[in-house]
Amino acid sequence: MRDIQKLLERQARWQKERAALSWPEKIRMAEAIRESAKLLREGAKAPDRESPRRQRAPLTER
Amino acid sequence: MRESGVIQNYALFGAAAQMRYTEPVATLDADVLVAVNSPESLDVLREIYEFCAVRGFPAEGEAIRVGAWPTQFVPAFDPLTREAMEQAETADFEGVPLRVVRADHLAVIALSVGRARDFARILALLESGCVSREAIAGLATRHGLKEAWRRFESRFFDA
Repeated sequence: MRDIQKLLERQARWQKERAALSWPEKIRMAEAIRESAKLLREGAKAPDRESPRRQRAPLTER
Repeated sequence: MRESGVIQNYALFGAAAQMRYTEPVATLDADVLVAVNSPESLDVLREIYEFCAVRGFPAEGEAIRVGAWPTQFVPAFDPLTREAMEQAETADFEGVPLRVVRADHLAVIALSVGRARDFARILALLESGCVSREAIAGLATRHGLKEAWRRFESRFFDA
């Protein structure tokens, strides 16, 4: 419980630090977030044959 | 664009403007309020698109890519957005002066839209301390959003 409290406090500190960055720095950070989100979305849209689960399937079928 | 007479005025709003006050938030594009020359025209943004295309800023669907950002130009469409644009502040973005909608207007525009993410924007702005509940209440009342603000307060602040 005390660990969770510490974790939450640390997270709140990070959030405050991020909010205190300059506006251009925050915009750059948002750009990085967007690029990561785009990559994740592209990964999610990739055809099934490229997914690890699909690649493993023939092994389980043997 | 303003100097060329394509638009009369502009101000950045939405998530990119919000980030002046809050921590960074995820967003796909930048939103800009504009006052256009012929707001009654069916194709109000045509001049903007043409102006940008000639200068190497291509259209991407509903947006125009400016550097890394797909940018959406939204004509100021009601008294609230017109006031927000006219009373915008000039912020410095790495040496470039940029008109940006004030925090209280950002909050009340979000209130008028009323999606969950807009409510999150209001809460983030309040938490940052850049705007007060009283300031939002006053502006919301002036723009016919008193009831919407009362519902918001009741949902998020009343025990």
